[in-house]
Amino acid sequence: MNNPSTSSGHRTWIPRIVVFQCQYSLYCEADQRWMDIQLPQHIKLIKAPCTGRIGPLFVLNAVQGGADGILISGCLPEQCHFKEGNLGARRQLDEFRRFLTYLGMEEERVRFVWIDLSERGRIQQELADLEETIGAIGPARRLATRAIPAGENL
Amino acid sequence: MNQLTFAIRQEAARILEENIVDVVIGFKAGILPLKAQPAFITRQEEAEKLMHNGFCQNNLASYLTRRPKGERVGIICRGCESRAVRALVLEHQHDRDKLYLIGVPCTGIIDWRKIEREVGENTLQAVEEGDEVIVTTRDGEHRFQRADVLHDSCQRCLHPNPVGADIVLGDPLPEGDPERAWAPVLEFEALLPEERYACFVQEAERCIRCYACREACPMCYCAECFVDYTTPRWAESMITPSGTQAWHIIRAFHQTGRCVSCGACERACPMDIKMTYLTDKLNYDMGQQYGFEVGASEEEQPPFAAFTLDDKNRFVR
Repeated sequence: MNNPSTSSGHRTWIPRIVVFQCQYSLYCEADQRWMDIQLPQHIKLIKAPCTGRIGPLFVLNAVQGGADGILISGCLPEQCHFKEGNLGARRQLDEFRRFLTYLGMEEERVRFVWIDLSERGRIQQELADLEETIGAIGPARRLATRAIPAGENL
Repeated sequence: MNQLTFAIRQEAARILEENIVDVVIGFKAGILPLKAQPAFITRQEEAEKLMHNGFCQNNLASYLTRRPKGERVGIICRGCESRAVRALVLEHQHDRDKLYLIGVPCTGIIDWRKIEREVGENTLQAVEEGDEVIVTTRDGEHRFQRADVLHDSCQRCLHPNPVGADIVLGDPLPEGDPERAWAPVLEFEALLPEERYACFVQEAERCIRCYACREACPMCYCAECFVDYTTPRWAESMITPSGTQAWHIIRAFHQTGRCVSCGACERACPMDIKMTYLTDKLNYDMGQQYGFEVGASEEEQPPFAAFTLDDKNRFVR
């Protein structure tokens, strides 16, 4: 299943995606339930109390552990549950992505989704969009240095 | 003995005698040529040991955070050291009232590796004479132009003059050329992604995880570094590609908006690994994005500490 080659036109490789989510960013009940219960196998959800908790080390560990795509979802500036946790995170994570790009990672692999509290269904769209982008650029080769445990999806 | 050394000894003796400080941090002659040692002078008579020349490699500001709390410290500051002191004071690592900064405009640090590459390891004596460095070995005398053997970071230095010093000894020097300072970053950025990654891997894989870069850095003062954590284990602690790369990435990233570009990490590295291309990139970005420069102001917090709601129009796709 991890074979990146495409055979006879249809894709056999499924990108591994890690989603870092602020637990307050999905206000919509249905969206959150979909994330918690119905998330496809190749997407791994990691919840944090706030985007401010999602540090560069989290992202780096995901990249090194073999994630092909990383989606970081947070609240819009004025809507942070902790007033300003997301503001610090935005500056740090934006710079961290630029830094990883400087070291040779494809920029598209890390994506930010700043979700308005009223946007229903946005997260599904963004995930599908990210999967398509990652599918086009192929599996992560650079910076993915840690051995992935055999038989595990992530 | 040069004039500067004389002035430094006099000033150090004076502030110790008048009980302005408890200790003066400076340099004394090392056991080996080409290398000077940091010195901690607590008595007026000992001030005669102090000296200053291009062979003083360390960033003395890195000792500030290791001195006992409340101690009054006199410190000999070149441009980069004075900016590091400012950044440390801004981060509440030391009281500015308890510091006495003896500023010295810096003509650059001589890289002993560059000299050793030319003349081999048998250096008997090395002296500076104006714009020349004269190195005596067993095979004879070698002369170098000072500008050629300066450390890379010093060749790119933007601010050789100390900022916010209590006293400045010597004449101010012209400021550096920004074009030259950022040239390595822009050159590296112009490479293809796979070339950049290959460069990074080649540098990082030589790392032996001695953490000399961390110890030499004035801004690395955490009581417990992220690599020393065991629960959770943030990065592999062995010499594995994953571990060394994580160390180089995160060490540099923790310096974002704090690195003073002194190059002490590179000078300390026993494996001669290039590191300033990482921190310089982050400094360059901070300048471009937020107009921030380390040590430029006494009050301005680094960008990662100074976020505001004005950011709301950034980053949104």
